[in-house]
Amino acid sequence: MVDRAVPAAVPEVHTTLVHAHGIAALVALLVSVTFGVVASLQFLYPDFSGGVPWLSWGRLRYAHTQGIMLGWLGNAFFAFLYHAVPVLSGRRVTSLRLGRWLFALWNFAVMAPGWVLVLSGVSQPLEWAEFPLMIDGVVVTALVLSAVQFLPPLFTRGLDYLYVSSWYIIGGLVFTLLAYPMGNIVPEFVAGASGAAFSGLWIHDAVGLFVTPLALAIVYFVIPAATRRPIYSHFLSMLGFWLLFFLYPLNGTHHYVFSVIPMSAQIGAIAASTLLGVDVVIVVANLLMSLKGAGLIPRDVGLRFVAAGTVFYLIVSLQGSIQAQMAVNATVHFTDFVVGHSHLAMLGFASFAAAGGLVHVWQRIGWVRYNARLVDHAFWLLAFGVTMMAVDLTIAGVVQGRLWQSGAPWLESVQASRPYWMVRTLAAVPVAGGFIALLAGLTTGPRGGGLATVEDSVDAEPVDEISPRLAPLAGGSS
Amino acid sequence: MAYLVASVGGVLFFVMSVTLLGIWPKRVLEAQSAAMSPENALGMSESARRGRVVYSREGCAYCHTQQVRYLHADMSRFGAPTLAWEGHLDYPHLWGTRRIGPDLSRATGSRSEDWHFTHLYSPRTVVTGSVMPPYPWLFDGAAARPRQDARDLVAYLETLGRAREIAGPEGESHAREGCNCPDDEMAQMAFHEPLNAHPARTRRDGIVPAELMATFRSARAGINDSLPRGRRLYTDHCASCHGSGGAGDGPGAASLRPRPANLVEHEYSDARLAEAMWNGVAGSSMPAWRDHAPNDLAAIGAVVKAFSVTRPIPPLPESLVEAGARVYGSNCVQCHGPQGDGRGPAAAELTMAPTNFREQRPSLDESLRALRNGVDGTPMAPWTSRLDAAEILAVAHYVRGFFGAAPGSGR
Repeated sequence: MVDRAVPAAVPEVHTTLVHAHGIAALVALLVSVTFGVVASLQFLYPDFSGGVPWLSWGRLRYAHTQGIMLGWLGNAFFAFLYHAVPVLSGRRVTSLRLGRWLFALWNFAVMAPGWVLVLSGVSQPLEWAEFPLMIDGVVVTALVLSAVQFLPPLFTRGLDYLYVSSWYIIGGLVFTLLAYPMGNIVPEFVAGASGAAFSGLWIHDAVGLFVTPLALAIVYFVIPAATRRPIYSHFLSMLGFWLLFFLYPLNGTHHYVFSVIPMSAQIGAIAASTLLGVDVVIVVANLLMSLKGAGLIPRDVGLRFVAAGTVFYLIVSLQGSIQAQMAVNATVHFTDFVVGHSHLAMLGFASFAAAGGLVHVWQRIGWVRYNARLVDHAFWLLAFGVTMMAVDLTIAGVVQGRLWQSGAPWLESVQASRPYWMVRTLAAVPVAGGFIALLAGLTTGPRGGGLATVEDSVDAEPVDEISPRLAPLAGGSS
Repeated sequence: MAYLVASVGGVLFFVMSVTLLGIWPKRVLEAQSAAMSPENALGMSESARRGRVVYSREGCAYCHTQQVRYLHADMSRFGAPTLAWEGHLDYPHLWGTRRIGPDLSRATGSRSEDWHFTHLYSPRTVVTGSVMPPYPWLFDGAAARPRQDARDLVAYLETLGRAREIAGPEGESHAREGCNCPDDEMAQMAFHEPLNAHPARTRRDGIVPAELMATFRSARAGINDSLPRGRRLYTDHCASCHGSGGAGDGPGAASLRPRPANLVEHEYSDARLAEAMWNGVAGSSMPAWRDHAPNDLAAIGAVVKAFSVTRPIPPLPESLVEAGARVYGSNCVQCHGPQGDGRGPAAAELTMAPTNFREQRPSLDESLRALRNGVDGTPMAPWTSRLDAAEILAVAHYVRGFFGAAPGSGR
């Protein structure tokens, strides 16, 4: 919807908060990647930890995924929201002071102590929920504060003026707040299979209600902002949005197919998983149509990250629909196929969207450093690394699953996995290199270096179907 | 108004998902547990409870699932699918979503305590080729010196699957009744036999399939063909405990009681080797290897036989020949049996089956060592306080005479 009553000027963006969360995101990312690399090395050198408890595989595994989800993606989403919410709503976020509190809470009361605790052995053995209960309390507080910070501006002018990106932001923040306690706290008090049912819900909600909506908010924001053309179809955008929030939460039980959890719940979840694939085809078709004209490999790096993330989103979702099917699940469940799937989701889709959002935002702040060449390198290294890792783990999963079914001694599946584990660790080299280049690209180079790249790449054609607020060229204003 | 519709609609979606996939399954599962659980399901000791915390914090569940699926591939490897009531003490659940090592839901009774300690302290000393990380901080510098954490963890591992196993056939039929699902094919899979299909689980007096015995005999005929493969398998699976030369001195041996058999100092019959590999040696850390192909076991058997040495034996003085039978008759028959087959009247009461001398012949040195020192970790005690040197020598010779004798006969 076009709102011509609102002036084109962008209200105040707290660029210091964008910057702080952006840097925190990248630091948390590198720390989490390091945890992942050291964990992956233990598949090749199982004695790698040298008997140091906090370097051992299990504890690093906890720190790795929590770091990626909350430390990297969480901070990157916040950085994006501090830019996007004012642009989308024409209003400031609630409070700069609240922002400082939120930053401190998220990084110094969630991430830092969370990592220290899981590495020292205080944790809960629940996937995507490994930080202990006391940290969960802080996370919920921070989520409430982030709702207070970002939601009011979006509710100021009625739903008709809500751009699709805003819908996803609202959805992501509200539903994370609902799902987080359900997944992180309920299983502690519900035993065994019943607890697992709730855990299964959360494993999918973490991705579906926190990561995906906020990553899609970035995608739906960056594409029109960078191409300066509106999204192809607002109808498809809204259809995709509502289907997503209807279907994603219903997927949970597909993590426990062939378990004692009632078969009708399993089948319902599998059906929802299948439909989810259809929904993602709708969403991605809409996004790709919107990208038309930007070229196969967009020149603008922010847009390129987002476009690649969109393609990964399509692949990972179709893969998810397929692996939920009983015939496939029987073979690949419990194998590296699933690990490949989650890396394609978190590293391919979500991290590319988050990186695209960060780059996009960074380009538009006048006082931050920006090194275009390094950011460009980062893209290619990451694209190569994640593809290599996902393909490798997917094949590994099929090999493992087939060997288990063959009745061969267990160790044969371990021996057969070795070459794949080696390739996985090798794939971490371009991935880590790409993320280091991204951090360097956003901290070195000339101040305001991003502004030049924006002017250089933006399509000159003026398009007035899209609100001019979505493609601000103004530098930082705070 | 639009806000209201959108937010109510959205929240309803979420509530619906939690209701359909969380709350409703919880109710079904709780009803199912109530109907199928034994009346007094076995609980957990304080030690096992603490062990569960160790298991949780070290991330064990991220490599070892605790959920046998309703799939034949899972059931034939691990046993009966996990029932809802089996997790009644699991706060929070430890089902896991990745299997790098095997599923542990039926771990109880599958490995000896020593094996667990050795494996936790240094996994590759007992499982060559394992990628499990070591957990030395649960120990005081050696596998034989577990700290409380390690003891608790092993106590916890021993509870996995135990409640259902202890409930026994009565428990299973009670569960069947409670399930009340004679026509539900999938639900019926839960009562798969055996309850515990762990391929390494030892079975005392287990049956050895005739097919395996036949393979052992034919492998002996083609011994030269199977030796290279046998050597490779031996190196992969046996050398870590029995040592590369078979002397029972592999890296894993130090913390195992009884120590792994010294294959150099014993001669084995095919039947004994097949039995030990198929059923394991109950009461020791020797696991069963039922997940291996009969051909492979026979190939390993050929390698084991090739280890044993025969040294010239100094003849027994004429005066002692008769003493051997006398000493054996008055001291050894209780356990090893009058026929030397290890089936004496007391044998069944012992933690480990006494040596069956008809199928297994110790060298004279080994025989003397056992009589003088006993065999640590087994009920075999030292006999130096009861027998003099001449009697020990006599009976050491005597027991060697049983080997290869026709069934039913004496020596």
